[in-house]
Amino acid sequence: MITPRQRAVVEFVLDNLVWFILAFVLAIFSLAIPNFAQPGIFINIIEQSTFVGVMAIGLAIVIIAGNMDLSVESVAGLTAMITGILFCSRGIGIGLTMTPEWLVLPVSLGIALMVGGIIGSINGWLVVKLKMSAFIVTLASYIWVRGMVDAISGGRSAQDLTPALRIMGIETFLSIPLIAWVAILCFVVFTFIMAKTPFGRHITMIGGNPVASFRAGIKVDRLIIITFILSGAIAGVAGWLLAIRTSGATANLGIGMLFRAFAAVVIGGVSLKGGIGQLPGVYAGVLLLSTIQTAMNVMALPVHYTQMILGALVLAALLLDTVKLAIRQKLA
Amino acid sequence: MKRLFSALCGALAMVALVFSASATWAQTKGKIYYMVPTLLDEFQTESVSALTKFLGDVGYETVTLNADNKTDLQQSQMNDVINLKPSAIILAAVDFNALVPSIEKARAAGIPVMIFDRQITTTPSDFTSVAGTVEIGYVAAGEIERLLKEKNGSVKGKVLQVLGDPADPYTLDIQKGFEEKMKAFPDVQIISLPAMQWEASNAGTIVADQLVANPDIDLIFVHAAHLAVAAVASLEAKGKKPGDILLVSSNGAPVGLDLIRKGWEQVEVEQPLYAQAAAIAMFADKVVNKQEIKPGTYDVLGLESIVTIEPWGANIKIPGAAITKDNVDEARFWGNLKAPTDPVKPVE
Repeated sequence: MITPRQRAVVEFVLDNLVWFILAFVLAIFSLAIPNFAQPGIFINIIEQSTFVGVMAIGLAIVIIAGNMDLSVESVAGLTAMITGILFCSRGIGIGLTMTPEWLVLPVSLGIALMVGGIIGSINGWLVVKLKMSAFIVTLASYIWVRGMVDAISGGRSAQDLTPALRIMGIETFLSIPLIAWVAILCFVVFTFIMAKTPFGRHITMIGGNPVASFRAGIKVDRLIIITFILSGAIAGVAGWLLAIRTSGATANLGIGMLFRAFAAVVIGGVSLKGGIGQLPGVYAGVLLLSTIQTAMNVMALPVHYTQMILGALVLAALLLDTVKLAIRQKLA
Repeated sequence: MKRLFSALCGALAMVALVFSASATWAQTKGKIYYMVPTLLDEFQTESVSALTKFLGDVGYETVTLNADNKTDLQQSQMNDVINLKPSAIILAAVDFNALVPSIEKARAAGIPVMIFDRQITTTPSDFTSVAGTVEIGYVAAGEIERLLKEKNGSVKGKVLQVLGDPADPYTLDIQKGFEEKMKAFPDVQIISLPAMQWEASNAGTIVADQLVANPDIDLIFVHAAHLAVAAVASLEAKGKKPGDILLVSSNGAPVGLDLIRKGWEQVEVEQPLYAQAAAIAMFADKVVNKQEIKPGTYDVLGLESIVTIEPWGANIKIPGAAITKDNVDEARFWGNLKAPTDPVKPVE
């Protein structure tokens, strides 16, 4: 029998377990890996979490609402390519310029949001109005959107992004690159939305029990479509950031990020069954994955083992999450 | 309704006419299928244009099938194409070994198979046109030896090698050739890391991490030019200027040539794409008609290329070139995207 105080402590630890794991992993790596414990590496980890992190926000919202969005990676690839084509001056870039120059920033971001939002709305409409499986609809989008990247680029790349955009990838604030601040800002805003607004609470309720939510007067269909639009638009931002980071776009940009985003969402404590999950945990999950990846980069492990080690560490994190659930059930 | 039906019939008739007209127009010596491994990189994309152009010069129609980097898809594409009985198949394999049974099946069905760019030595084929990926590693090693000597006074220093996907034999061959040659220089420390799935931001991440962990890196060698772009973006983000850290890349894509012009990259080791494709066209008649290919030296778009008869068949090896700021604008480099306009002639 545990006291209420002890229970509160255990609950706190369980709620923030992924942050504790992150702290533990960072401590171990800092002690064990030469050259790891330095500000530059920690800044790299935050910077590298940008793209998967932003992508994971939209994915987490859709999953919390009880659905699935496999298209986020391809949407990011498409918006990266559109940004590259419009605002790069070499390769297939047409080098669009604006006066004043800074206007490029909001315009390119607006285009990325719009393109992502349109794809998200198509996904949402098909899922809600035609009652199609979200898995199948977004899998199809994953394929056709990547195909569209290939089609509009012809397999070629765009380079030399306009300096007005590149500044986001080069300049820093408090030593952290501006693109990483965009990701942090996204997490703060959407954490607030999900935790403190009726919209966020309704999304979580829908994911937990859509029928009960409907009977409680929540506009389930409308909110589900909005989650898909949000997911697409946020993935659009991830693509926009990717183009800025790599100063252009190639046809395979972003490939492989869907699975990292999924891993981060699950490690972060979001239930794939819907109705459970908090965005700060997802950010911790993304940071954890980036920490592992960075550690492997710094250690320069034999190339053939890196993927295997990454998979094993992800599995270990998930096992801990399972232990967490078991403890929670015992406490209940 | 009647009007709609007649309009539909009219449209169908027009389509049929266009198709039959194009079929008549397209009468050639036959169809050759090009099995391209992916269209997500510029080398492969340009190879489609080059092969279509050069094979057209010698009278063949080219049909391209994209395997999207999937071995199983390329295997089933091979099976489909074998049933269509084309004049020949050009194969740039996704996986060098997995496609061996498909090559054997095609040849057993009487369809000649030409190997393009990605060498297969474990089974006979009818013609092989390659730059030699191991040789690209050799050329890169030679250039890196020179660059390190110029920078440090002798061949010493720290090299970050950014591979492509570690499951791709193409990048492993380059690594093999490069490291084999660099063994002669024990004062050179090589750090090798893979950019999973050849994805550019992965390469950027590796460079960013290594610049912090090993700030004394002298040179970065990336296995594809599109990875070099992300590497440069990371260098720029860390406040580096062109030339602060030397950069060498391979494959000769347009992006790499641009980086040389801007001073970020010192050497791009080119895969001679146009010559590799032209060689396929030059020998296509001999392959299709199952005539003997004689060993010797041939001029392929001005490059002295050597045909040898190997256990796996006739093999033409075309030398890769090192592109530097002195020769970057030469039209012979495929990265300048100026495909030769003179028609290729078949070897007599």
